[in-house]
Amino acid sequence: MPEIVVDGLTHTFGAGSENPVTAVEGIDLTFESGSFCSIIGTSGCGKSTLLKMMAGLFEPSEGRMTLDREIIKGFSKRRGMVFQQDAVFPWMTVARNISYGPRLRGASRAEQAGIEKKWIEAVGLKGFEDRWPRELSGGMRKRVDIGRVYANDPDVLLMDEPFGALDAQTKERMQSDLLRTWNETRKTVVFVTHDIEEAIFLSDRIIVMSARPGRIRHIEEVALPRPRADEMRLTEEFLEIKRRLWGMLEH
Amino acid sequence: MMRFLTGRLALGVLSIATVLLAYHLATIQPDNNPSLLPPITDIIGSFITNVTSGSLFSALGASLFRIVLGFFIGTTCGLVIGCLVGWYKIAEYLIDPLIEAVRPIPPLAYIPIIIIWFGIEEFSRVLLISIACFMVSVVNVIAGMKNVPQVYVDAASTLGANRLQVFRTVAVPAATPFIIAGYRIALAAAWTTLVAAELIAAPSGLGFMLQEGRRYFLTDQVMMIIVIIGSCAFIMDRLFRAIQARLMVWSEARE
Repeated sequence: MPEIVVDGLTHTFGAGSENPVTAVEGIDLTFESGSFCSIIGTSGCGKSTLLKMMAGLFEPSEGRMTLDREIIKGFSKRRGMVFQQDAVFPWMTVARNISYGPRLRGASRAEQAGIEKKWIEAVGLKGFEDRWPRELSGGMRKRVDIGRVYANDPDVLLMDEPFGALDAQTKERMQSDLLRTWNETRKTVVFVTHDIEEAIFLSDRIIVMSARPGRIRHIEEVALPRPRADEMRLTEEFLEIKRRLWGMLEH
Repeated sequence: MMRFLTGRLALGVLSIATVLLAYHLATIQPDNNPSLLPPITDIIGSFITNVTSGSLFSALGASLFRIVLGFFIGTTCGLVIGCLVGWYKIAEYLIDPLIEAVRPIPPLAYIPIIIIWFGIEEFSRVLLISIACFMVSVVNVIAGMKNVPQVYVDAASTLGANRLQVFRTVAVPAATPFIIAGYRIALAAAWTTLVAAELIAAPSGLGFMLQEGRRYFLTDQVMMIIVIIGSCAFIMDRLFRAIQARLMVWSEARE
């Protein structure tokens, strides 16, 4: 089963230049298979940098990462990524976006249709198959993004503040729906956010990072029972974790 | 009724009608010299004469042939080279300085050298139009390729697309709005270049008929050809916009 190990990871932007910036320094982490982990921290703590390196967008200056003992290098369909920005291809319909990954690998029309049906339903977009992304709301486009990554059947989902641009209500809906999908598939998720409540609601474990350079400051095991319901956000246990983490983030 | 009168089409017709009326009023002034400013009836008369004699059709045919062929060759080369330069760093470093250096030169500046090398042949005229279309389209294709949002490229890559697949499934469609805009400008450039080329060196075509009109003092023919050129360019641009609307059905900015 996939397990990600991050070992002595350091990344410096502009190494060798006049003013190099060390984004993350000496990160050691293990993401257990099937777990839901969040990385939180104020902006500039290097959480996105860390995630992007896990996706293979660029290589760390020092240290290494492995997935199933295999060194992470470059892109791989095993590591799917949901971006902060809207990454739905506007020139493809919802259905074509969903089946994009399998189509790249030569999936037959029938296979594509099956995948489209399954994941469009799973992310709650039934009836919107043939719509253009421009006809959808921001939240619905995010659903396409998530469905497209799931439909590609990765082992790990890397999510970079996927709900950052959504309004509060939509965000809560998306969080609950994401948890349901995660529960059904049990794929490892690494979720980057600056929203403490979002991290608590979703995660088994929360990694708190401090900024400049990005280091791990604290790891919080979230013992809240699953499945998680929206009401939990107001329980004493939930709020206690929130208070503790809030104190740790630099304001 | 009011809505119709203030509608887009109605106002367009109104503005054209106003210009025609003004022209007409100018031509009926007692001191107007009709050989300098021919009345509308003379222009229509010239149109009818040239249609019945067939000379307008052969001129139009010759010109359209040059436009279509030159446009096709020029924009196809522009598309291929633009894609390479816009997408591959090596091609960019190799070819982009060349394009930038040549870009400010108006295509008409090549007329003398083309005539010296290839003579006053059909090939020379098509070549000139091709160059004009190439220069306009290549710049737009490059801009389109350079403006492909990085997040789409990253998304496709993380989903498992290789470099060629990213190019085919992301870069080309993402650049389509730029490419089509470039093609429309290229079409306009093709008309400009065509008329200039035919004015200087052609035994046929609309530009040739303009030149003939000047030589024999047929101002009505000159006016008529100007209207014909305007109408043709307008119709072709409309056709292009229809194609654009079809290809760009996914885009926020379809106009």
